[in-house]
Amino acid sequence: MAKGVMTTESYINHHLTNLTCGKVGVNEDAGIYNSFWTCDPYMVDKMGFWAFHVDSLFWSVLLGAVFIGVFKMAMPKDMNSNSAPKGAQNFVEMCIEFVEDNVQSLFGSVKNTLIAPLALTVFVWILLMNLMDLVPVDFLPVLAGHIAYAVAGSGGAEGGGVEWITSPESFYFKVVPTTDPNITLGMAFAVFILTIYYSITVKGFKNFIAELTLHPFGKWLIPVNFVLEMVNFIAKPISLGLRLFGNLYAGEMIFILIALMLFFSSIPIGMLGFGLHLVWALFHILIVALQAFIFMALTIAYLAMAHETEEH
Amino acid sequence: MNINATLLAQAVVMIVFVAICWKYIYPPILAVMQEREKKIADGLEAAKKADDSLEEAKLAFDKELNQAKSEAAEILDKANARASQIVKDASSKAEVEAEKIMSSASIAIENETNKAKEELRQQMSDIIIDTTQKILGDEISKEKHEDILKKAAEEL
Repeated sequence: MAKGVMTTESYINHHLTNLTCGKVGVNEDAGIYNSFWTCDPYMVDKMGFWAFHVDSLFWSVLLGAVFIGVFKMAMPKDMNSNSAPKGAQNFVEMCIEFVEDNVQSLFGSVKNTLIAPLALTVFVWILLMNLMDLVPVDFLPVLAGHIAYAVAGSGGAEGGGVEWITSPESFYFKVVPTTDPNITLGMAFAVFILTIYYSITVKGFKNFIAELTLHPFGKWLIPVNFVLEMVNFIAKPISLGLRLFGNLYAGEMIFILIALMLFFSSIPIGMLGFGLHLVWALFHILIVALQAFIFMALTIAYLAMAHETEEH
Repeated sequence: MNINATLLAQAVVMIVFVAICWKYIYPPILAVMQEREKKIADGLEAAKKADDSLEEAKLAFDKELNQAKSEAAEILDKANARASQIVKDASSKAEVEAEKIMSSASIAIENETNKAKEELRQQMSDIIIDTTQKILGDEISKEKHEDILKKAAEEL
């Protein structure tokens, strides 16, 4: 990446690269003789699987904490006071009612106390993560870059610091966690685990396996059945994660491309960019809420399927 | 934009948040909401009951009032009848009394009159005899003409 000079390509790349920290192992071919932890963007290729997108996880945990905090604070200290709800409590109760309605319509009479809290967490959390998309694209990354450079930059007056932070631009910081497939697929993976868990505990292991193997062609074509059902089974979490990722990634990309219009030193194009930004932001609010809702609804639906004890 | 351990970390983070929400956030809020729902339902039920009992009370009140009214009317009628009876009795008694007084008075008057007449007659006969004696001298005496005197007295 060209240092100093900002090109369209480097701008886009900067916005699409995560702050990745991982362990770089011994690799004599690459000239590394002792393993160590680093967040150097140039080392990302050498980190392998055991690397973490620190920025995505940071925002994900922060926003999850915001969710828990808001829902904890909104309720009155004395839960038995029975006073009329006011302020944030109304909002919180509205969210819960919304989730309860959805769970009720998809789950029917099956009682599982985990489903509603799960759906609530998924919905509010994803909504908050998606909403980060509406923060101007450059604001937080540039802020984070400057803070990182000021705190630990290697080019500072006193020298030292972290060697790879050579300028504010060399510090990557992606803000929207849901534009990171790791995050969306991670959540889908958690839902997948729950689906398997409830499939086995509710239906019984035998029925669960039978569902995967004796359908749709009967017991004489078990391998074929298994392959078909497995595709079906695996496709659910993958499509769940990728749908959210794709929508938000595309949205983020369009924000970046609109922001790029300001690169041209032309007032009309700048104005157009400003207008487009507004229009896209308004439209994106819809996507933000819709994708959070879809993820929640599908999570409930998949778990509802796991609870169905239908004999084939 | 490669898949790495972030995925697993996020899955773990998600499970942790869901667990927190499941254990500490959701149940108390839901409990508060359900309790309030129940309270409102109870309140509405109580209001309906109160309405019903009010209606009942109104009906009972009306019934009682009507009964009281009719009773009062009855009592009033009785009282009126009694009063007129008393007046009637009193007046008839008074009439009888008056008649009695009148009759006793007339009897007394008659007696007095008779007495006076008798006296008068007596005196008259005495005067006549006196006068006759004076005129005739001792030719006639009371004892000698007892019969004649008696006859005259009866004629008077």
